Amino acid sequence: MSWLLATVSASIGKKQCMALSGLALCGFLVAHLSGNFLIFLGPEKFNAYAHFLESHPLLIPAEIGLAFLFLVHIGLAARVTRENWAARPHGYAVKATEGGRSLASGTMWLSGLITLVFLVLHLIHFKFVADDAKMDLHKLVVTTFHSLPYVVWYVFAVCVLGLHVGHGLKSAFRSLGLEHPKYTLALLWLSRLFGVAIAIGYASIPIWAYFFTRTLA
Amino acid sequence: MKAGMKFTLKVWRQKGSDAKGKLETYELRDISPDASFLEMLDVLNKQLILTGREPVAFDSDCREGICGTCCLVLNGQAHGPDEGTATCQLHMRRFKDGDTIHVEPWRAKAFPVVKDLVVDRSAFDRIIAAGGYVSVNTGSAPDANSILVPKQDSDLAMDAAACIGCGACVAACKNASAMLFVGAKVSQMALLPQGEPECSRRVLAMVQAMDKEGFGNCTNESECEAACPKEISVSNIARLNREFLRASLCAVEGKAGGEGA
Repeated sequence: MSWLLATVSASIGKKQCMALSGLALCGFLVAHLSGNFLIFLGPEKFNAYAHFLESHPLLIPAEIGLAFLFLVHIGLAARVTRENWAARPHGYAVKATEGGRSLASGTMWLSGLITLVFLVLHLIHFKFVADDAKMDLHKLVVTTFHSLPYVVWYVFAVCVLGLHVGHGLKSAFRSLGLEHPKYTLALLWLSRLFGVAIAIGYASIPIWAYFFTRTLA
Repeated sequence: MKAGMKFTLKVWRQKGSDAKGKLETYELRDISPDASFLEMLDVLNKQLILTGREPVAFDSDCREGICGTCCLVLNGQAHGPDEGTATCQLHMRRFKDGDTIHVEPWRAKAFPVVKDLVVDRSAFDRIIAAGGYVSVNTGSAPDANSILVPKQDSDLAMDAAACIGCGACVAACKNASAMLFVGAKVSQMALLPQGEPECSRRVLAMVQAMDKEGFGNCTNESECEAACPKEISVSNIARLNREFLRASLCAVEGKAGGEGA
């Protein structure tokens, strides 16, 4: 098994593990968002879906798998970021971009960190709540999003997430060696569109809840 | 010819590898717009010598943009503002009269400063020694066309082989990563049948050597490609990643740095 250890501890191996875990987490983002969209169909459908998930026998294994993906992705991110900073102990007095940098690519560690803070708060607000609040998850979501500061923070955080996955997806393809003139441009635009779609998709729920459901509360 | 130009230079001065350096300011007048950046530094050094001061140490050799020896970060850009151009091929007309120019050495843990603007790039040599070669039998040279190479492969290999090993990719990368250099060196041989027999051992050994030197990881920003004086494509990084994955998962001799199974 020494070859496996050598592979995952090499610089490229670490990035490839980050790429695979990142791609899997992107899949989770899509699945989670698809479920969230049920909120637009009303409390019955949304709560029924929530109860279906909560009582599913595979929920715990799925959550363990998800936690593993997050741990791999975040743990390796912390490690490569530390190595990257150590690789240039003395910085430049003046630094300008050469033309390759984007806002997203230059701030991956920061956008990742903001996403982690968001994830923790998100779990506290919507996952680890009292059972009676969970009985009507629709009401919990809608009332939480009646707070303007919370909506602003949520929209900001999912935009940061969109930025993160927009570059992350493109980067993951290249880390895995998936690049060819036949489809490189398509993957680039797919990645950007995915980032934008994730940001808009997730932001749509708090904005909708804030502007269109306050009469319900 | 335009009249002589004026510049304010802020140059990194450092007496030795262990000394603490700092930026020093020099005023230059009557610089020809047609002088190359290095010729402008020659003028500065002449002034310094005539006034009894220590000249600025900087690396240069061919001054034709093909040897990869010159290595300056100018106003935060490796090899300065021009695309596909080494410092020696950059001319002062590219700047505006009266400009202030920051002149700094490559900054990377793997490239320690030797003196002023000179850095030690022997880390690249050690990566090449780890596997950046093909083993051939000595004796009379084989016939040039005895092994056929598809035109598109030889073109791609030639593009990768244009790398002059200057280290601008490392200097420009926010992580001081050497992935473009190693990607080019692995690619130029992985693409050719002559390099194929050793390609698995090569990529694993070169990546291991790269990691040992303390270069950073690749964020896939493509700053390296934009800074490269030979415009080496980041598709070589993708090929390096692909070669590494293939060698790690599929090669019999799948042990990094090993001489075989």
